Amino acid sequence: MVEANIEMLEDEPSFKEFAIEEFLVRSEPYYRAVGDELELFEAAYEQHIPVLLKGPTGCGKTRFVEYMAWKLGRPITSVRNEGQDMREGEVRVPLVTIACHEDLTASDLVGRYLLDANGTRWIDGPMTRAVKAGAILYLDEVVEARKDTTVLIHPLTDHRRILPVEKTGNIIEADDRFLLCISYNPHYQSALKDLKHSTRQRFISIEFDYPPVDVEAEIVAKESGCDEDQAHALARLGEKIRNLREHGLAEGASTRLLIYAGRLMQQGIPARRACQVAIVWTLSDEAELQRSIEEVVYSIFE
Amino acid sequence: MTNPATGNLLDELAKLPPAVAEAYQAVADAMAESFSDEETALWAREGVAIGTQTVRSWESAVEYYRVSPEVARSLAFASFMQWARCGTYLSQDSPTLAVAFFKASPSIVTNLRPQYIPRWAGLGRSLYKGTWKSSTLAARFFEVSPDLVRNLPFWDVEVFASLIEALSYKSYDVAAECLVLGRDVLPAMGREREAFLSMSRALTDSSWREVKACLEMAPRALQHVEEGQTGRFLRLGEKLAKMGLRDTSRFLYDGAQALSHVSAGSQGHILDLCEGLLASTPDAVPPFLKSLDPVLNRITLQQLDQWYQHGVELLNENPESGIAFFKIESNTSESMLETLSSSLDLERVKGIMRLYTRALSGENIEVLSTAELVRRQIGWVDQDTAATDGTKVYLPPVIDNYNDKAQNFAWFKVVATHQVSHLEFGSFQFDFVRPANVFDDRRFQMEEAIQARIEAIRTATAEHFQLLDSDAAPSIEVGEGPGGTMRVYTDIGRFLSLFEDRRMVFDLFSVLEDCRLDYRIKTEYPGIRRAALDVQGDALAQRPRIEELPLQEALIELLVHMSLDRFEGLPVPQDYREEAYMLARIMHRLRTVRASIEDTGEAALRAYEIISRLQNEQEPEDEFQPEDLDDPGEFSEEEYQALLDKLQAQMSEQEGEQGEGDPYESPEPVEYRGDFKPEMVQLLTKLQMDQSEMGDAEPMTQEELEQLLQDSAELELDAQEGDVDQSMAMFAQNIMKEAGVPPPSNDPGRGYGPILHDDDAGGELEALEPKTFVYDEWDFRANDYKPRWCIVKEKILDEGDPNFYNDSLRNYASLLAHIKRQFELIMPETWRKTYRLIDGEDIDLNSALEAWADLRMNVPPDEKIYWRRNRVERDVAVVFLLDMSASTAEAIDEGRHSVDDRDAPDDPVEYMVWLRRRREGLVRRHYKRIIDLERESCALLINALESIGDTYGIYGFSGYGRENVEFYVIKDIEEQFNDKIKRRIDKVTPLHATRMGSAIRHAVTKLENQDAATKIMFLISDGRPQDRGYSREGVEKEYAVHDTHQALLEAKRKEIVPFCLTVDKAGHDYLKTMCGDLNYEVLDDIWALPERLPMLYRSLTM
Repeated sequence: MVEANIEMLEDEPSFKEFAIEEFLVRSEPYYRAVGDELELFEAAYEQHIPVLLKGPTGCGKTRFVEYMAWKLGRPITSVRNEGQDMREGEVRVPLVTIACHEDLTASDLVGRYLLDANGTRWIDGPMTRAVKAGAILYLDEVVEARKDTTVLIHPLTDHRRILPVEKTGNIIEADDRFLLCISYNPHYQSALKDLKHSTRQRFISIEFDYPPVDVEAEIVAKESGCDEDQAHALARLGEKIRNLREHGLAEGASTRLLIYAGRLMQQGIPARRACQVAIVWTLSDEAELQRSIEEVVYSIFE
Repeated sequence: MTNPATGNLLDELAKLPPAVAEAYQAVADAMAESFSDEETALWAREGVAIGTQTVRSWESAVEYYRVSPEVARSLAFASFMQWARCGTYLSQDSPTLAVAFFKASPSIVTNLRPQYIPRWAGLGRSLYKGTWKSSTLAARFFEVSPDLVRNLPFWDVEVFASLIEALSYKSYDVAAECLVLGRDVLPAMGREREAFLSMSRALTDSSWREVKACLEMAPRALQHVEEGQTGRFLRLGEKLAKMGLRDTSRFLYDGAQALSHVSAGSQGHILDLCEGLLASTPDAVPPFLKSLDPVLNRITLQQLDQWYQHGVELLNENPESGIAFFKIESNTSESMLETLSSSLDLERVKGIMRLYTRALSGENIEVLSTAELVRRQIGWVDQDTAATDGTKVYLPPVIDNYNDKAQNFAWFKVVATHQVSHLEFGSFQFDFVRPANVFDDRRFQMEEAIQARIEAIRTATAEHFQLLDSDAAPSIEVGEGPGGTMRVYTDIGRFLSLFEDRRMVFDLFSVLEDCRLDYRIKTEYPGIRRAALDVQGDALAQRPRIEELPLQEALIELLVHMSLDRFEGLPVPQDYREEAYMLARIMHRLRTVRASIEDTGEAALRAYEIISRLQNEQEPEDEFQPEDLDDPGEFSEEEYQALLDKLQAQMSEQEGEQGEGDPYESPEPVEYRGDFKPEMVQLLTKLQMDQSEMGDAEPMTQEELEQLLQDSAELELDAQEGDVDQSMAMFAQNIMKEAGVPPPSNDPGRGYGPILHDDDAGGELEALEPKTFVYDEWDFRANDYKPRWCIVKEKILDEGDPNFYNDSLRNYASLLAHIKRQFELIMPETWRKTYRLIDGEDIDLNSALEAWADLRMNVPPDEKIYWRRNRVERDVAVVFLLDMSASTAEAIDEGRHSVDDRDAPDDPVEYMVWLRRRREGLVRRHYKRIIDLERESCALLINALESIGDTYGIYGFSGYGRENVEFYVIKDIEEQFNDKIKRRIDKVTPLHATRMGSAIRHAVTKLENQDAATKIMFLISDGRPQDRGYSREGVEKEYAVHDTHQALLEAKRKEIVPFCLTVDKAGHDYLKTMCGDLNYEVLDDIWALPERLPMLYRSLTM
């Protein structure tokens, strides 16, 4: 028993901890460009134009931002020794990602006073940190956030590029490298959660959709490691299932789910079963719909 | 005692045993009180009369005196004496009887009307046959009488007594036992007693022992039978008994047992079936009922009809085998059950198949039964083969090819996949000018050659007739030869018309295309490869033998075999080995993912060129040698040309030498591949497109269409059915209808010319009356508003019956509960601060101070020092607009078949099913119209909205013409919900047209005045907007759609969220235009409306 315990201790957990504004995408994430989105984003970055990413869930928006953060900050990743100070002429572009939810308030983003032994202490929120550190701030599913967050977004996204911190009475001018990027899924049918035009019109919009079959097959193959035929079959499955959007399915099968299925297959799970757990059951709870998707799966996979 | 009469009486009493006098003395005083002296005397004397009838009748007299006071209390003297005399007569026959009679009397007279007393006594008397046993029985009858009379109508008592009498002839013991059983059982039987009694009566003749068994069985058995059906059931038993059925009790038991396994409401149907059997072969009824239980465990009630019908047919041929069938003691019966229980109704898997085909094709495909396609009469005739017309996939209604449900389903899937593959892999996309992928394009040369030939003929003719003006050359001749330009309305038609034998080339085209598709399916959908191979194998087994066909057909059959994945050991005529190999090469070339529909065309062209050059003659069977054609080698254009030249040379040689050979006949169809009609599909699509485009081209006339159909190889008309021309005209009309072409106008002057905007004349309108409003309308052609163009008249809807509202809530009780729960989840919470949170808007001073103090004390402080306000307050105003146009009167889809008695099916079995449904009230529900569902949804919605307290208004709209847009208030937005509103909902009825734009504008005005954070306008319609001068079905739809779009945009601009929900399945096409990027939804299943509407609203405001 004791020995076992010692062994376990030796096997140290390997995780890395970063301050939120110091998180850098260090190795190149896989991203397969479908159109000219790379050029567009780079241009917007250079010109300090905030970017709105539109598209259904799991089509690669987050991956795209990650990839751009890596690409724009590329010089630093070539430095082997990560702990070292910055070399001259290098650009760091940290990535601060915030998943928005309905309880996300402005103070969650900007920061707040906390009590400590000597009184109160101000803690910067992730947005403030990103602004200061010159990061790409990525607000995922921004419509989910509470309305008061838009108050913060507006001054940051026009020519001023400032973040007023109401509670401390400060105004922070954003670092030159700072860029705000938000994502938005237009498939939601909620009148209360639509993005206001005054907000929308501060961004350029890049539309994402699921990639065409061949490209998607390539992505699935690359990401899941399954063979080309399987990847192609999965991509075709994705295409077929997406045909059912508006026929009962709220969202089509995302590339992410296809990749999951591919990974399970890679682990030796039979194809039909892998698709069932990764795709069919995830997409719908409705028996008939499940059965219909299953039939498509059974047709494509043996 | 001074009365001499009395003294006299006492003397006479003294002659009798002393007990009599004692009895008299005991009651004499009491009697004197009830009757006068004279009457009392008569009473007393009657006693003596009784006592003196026979030796032992003094006992009766004692009893007579004893009960007299009690009886006298209920009867007047006259009736009393009548009663007493009945006793006298009885004692004459048997004192025992009389004693029993008197004993029972006190409790009888209180329940029985006096005039029935003699009849009652008579009943007892009738049982007495002078024997000891009979007197016991009769006495027993009197004994049980009080209970019988108390619980049964006297009429039933009489019938029962006669039943007992009938039984008594057989056995007194049984009769006596039944008498007692009857007393216990009959009262509980209620209304069915009569039927039961007459059944028992019938039994006494044939098998009297059964009566007792039935009586014993009845209470237990009948409780399984539905109340309304018990009578019929028993009458059935009666008839059977009359016909000599022995063990009726068994029947009762089995029957009741069987019925108890049938769902309530269907028992009547079972009895229908029994009665049907009874009429022909009563002997079959008991086995049928006995088998019912196991049978119904295996098949459904609907399928039972089929099984039954088959049994009836057998009965008619041979009663013995029929009965064996119903006993499930015959193979036929067993295998039929097997088949039925494994057969698959399309109806049950339709939903799955629909989604499946939609997923595969990416088109909005409808799955329908083939019966529907045949009904439309647009060229498809076979009910058992699948088909597609480009937007719908038709599948046979029932599949019973295999004895296994899973296999039958797999068959469905293979068939559906094959049909969808026509769409997915572009069978209908044939484009004459698009180059093929794997073949060289020969069709262009061919067309040129033909045209040159025609030109030559034309010039020759022109010269012949010495016509100077070549334009005037009769163009009719163009239609004579192949390749006439008049016929090439569709691309596929253009291609097919290149060939002399259109049928043959079409057959080749179909086989090759099916081969291409089956190959594609197998590569793209490996999952159904096995099932597809099975189906192909089965299809192969049914193919004719190649050796028995004349040459041309044999070669085509060879292709069919190969298309079904059979390449080994195919019989090939040795003289035509080269041709067969060439055909195989052509086919193999299509077996690649690169092959397109144009390649199929090119392949068909080549195959045709070869086969058409051969004589269609029967080759001797020994000419055929088996060959493997799985690898015939690569196809090469040069070799093909060489073969062609050789054949051509042979043909020229043989010219005039031999006869024509057999006329060519098409190969047998391959069942699972269904009806492939690319030309018809292209035609329909094109007609529809021309229609919606209002294209530059002249729309096709019916005559042209008829001509086209006549040429088509796809249409097989049965000439015997009637005048070909006439049916052609009918086809043409049906097809036009299908494509949405308006029928030709009767007014010859106008023709098709649309009469648009006939109220264009006249200008702006004034709203003069109160409650009328005037609105602009958008003219998309002018790209501007027509000012003050429409008048909206606001009216409050009449009030009707509030029960509609209440009934709707009741009918949807479970849904209602569900909706309510969902809505309660979004119940608004007030602005309430929640304290002691780890996170919040600001620091809560109290907890902060506490924490501060804790810190000072070096105690870990509580982290929960924040407060936060709860959620945003819900502040929603919504207006619902209900379409009240005439089209909402349309009965909903499923009701189309059985609406009223005229639709009653002819087939007896179907008729019974229909009748049963009707009885269950299903037919009535099928009557439901779109508007009914709108109303019901409305009721549910109101209920839900009331629970969350949103501000809402509900309005209906309709109207006629621009001066008369009716806007009905069901619930005004300012109005509180009350009974009046419930009543108004009842009055929501289909009215006139739909001028949506103005109605929307008025609704927007209503909302604009509301002070709410979120404003929503919810439009519920059943189709595109239309009105006089607004749009006309099939003529001009854009104007209305654009105006509506504009109105919705106006709403959006005023910060109102518009949402369109339509139940029109064809909604996708115009809603895209009408709503743009605004939200809309097309509800595929109208029945889902009551559920979907509140849910949609909920998700819209969450």
